[in-house]
Amino acid sequence: MSFFAILRSIYEGFGITAAVATLGLFFAIPFAVIAGVLQHFATGPLRWIVTAIIEFWRSSSVIVLLYAFYYTLPAFGIFLSGITVGAMVLGFNIGGYGSQSVRAALQSLNKGQREAGLALGLSRFDVLRLIELPQAITAMFPTFINQAIQLIKGTTLVSLIALTDMTFRAKQISELGYNPVGIYSALALSYLILCYPVTIFGRKVERRFATRKAR
Amino acid sequence: MNFNFSFAIEIVPRVLEGIGNTVMIAIISFIGAAALGLFWELLRRSHATIRPVIQFVIDAIRSTPALVQIYFLFFVLPYYGLTLPALLVGSFGLSFYYSGYMSEVFKAGIDAVPAGQSEAAQSLGLSWADMIRFVILPQMLRNVAAPLGAYSISILKSTPLLAVISVPELLGSALDVASDTYRYAEPMFDVGVLFLAMSLVAVAGITQLERRLGLTAPSH
Repeated sequence: MSFFAILRSIYEGFGITAAVATLGLFFAIPFAVIAGVLQHFATGPLRWIVTAIIEFWRSSSVIVLLYAFYYTLPAFGIFLSGITVGAMVLGFNIGGYGSQSVRAALQSLNKGQREAGLALGLSRFDVLRLIELPQAITAMFPTFINQAIQLIKGTTLVSLIALTDMTFRAKQISELGYNPVGIYSALALSYLILCYPVTIFGRKVERRFATRKAR
Repeated sequence: MNFNFSFAIEIVPRVLEGIGNTVMIAIISFIGAAALGLFWELLRRSHATIRPVIQFVIDAIRSTPALVQIYFLFFVLPYYGLTLPALLVGSFGLSFYYSGYMSEVFKAGIDAVPAGQSEAAQSLGLSWADMIRFVILPQMLRNVAAPLGAYSISILKSTPLLAVISVPELLGSALDVASDTYRYAEPMFDVGVLFLAMSLVAVAGITQLERRLGLTAPSH
């Protein structure tokens, strides 16, 4: 198999990689925003519960969570597809990290923003929705890009629960013939092609945000 | 299939057999990642012409998954006649992966040392190596302690990746129990709880350490 043929064969798994990453974002973004906002505003027992949920997803090892949910949920009578479990575990894990960025961004906003909104007669919820969140989300954009990269890289783990993503394709090809250098270089290159542009973009955005802050 | 709690508790000692390896992998990988990360950063700073090359290397490391890097080392090294124990190869893989992030930590840590320090060192006639060693590094260590602590926990949480190259760490021994007993739910549940407990203990320990050293996380 030529290097190009291997590369093309690995990209047959791109659909699964993309599906898990995209679905993962659908879990991660709402979780990050809701948990971050709740942790910022809640007091007392609700705050403990939110913190416990965030810490569970953030402090566990993703690969262990993936195995644990994939194999343990059916024992409790919950049957989910591999893609759902993969996207959920990866998404909530990244979302747990994201929630801390949301909370930090909300905390670092000038409180004059809130006071001005309230003085204009907006409800507390409208102040959050129209004034605080848009600013917080803009401020955390560089972090968001970095976490999106983590999510894309994290999708490799679903190959371990037998989903045919790019990594799983590479393992399948490696059973056809002994060519470790070709296959694993192609695999690394496949992810590099996906993530390198995002890494560079993230660096640019970060730099622009840093200079804007300095001004 | 039902979840059997007494079985889950019964197998805990067998799962725990892997904990020594888990801790060892975490320590080797942390030291390796910090050393290699510092190496990348010093190389990146050393000369303007190699700077873009090192920058590309760092970005490439950060743009490929840890699992892929581990597979690469594990399958490609033997092809060139270098056969090492899987535990060592996996630890090198994690060191390599995290060195990309560590280099950024060191970059920020060095950037935070005031420019007057290196200017003073140069005007005193110190060589580049002496300036790094006696002036910059000692001051940088304080800046990087907190983020390095955070990455040590990330590394601990990444150690189960080595189970895929059949290293008998925590997840590996749980998978062994699973294939012996044909029951996956309980061993996986155990290893999940164990890792959560370990990482919470590690977080608490590192927070304590930072407080004792009088460190606070630098603002990002």
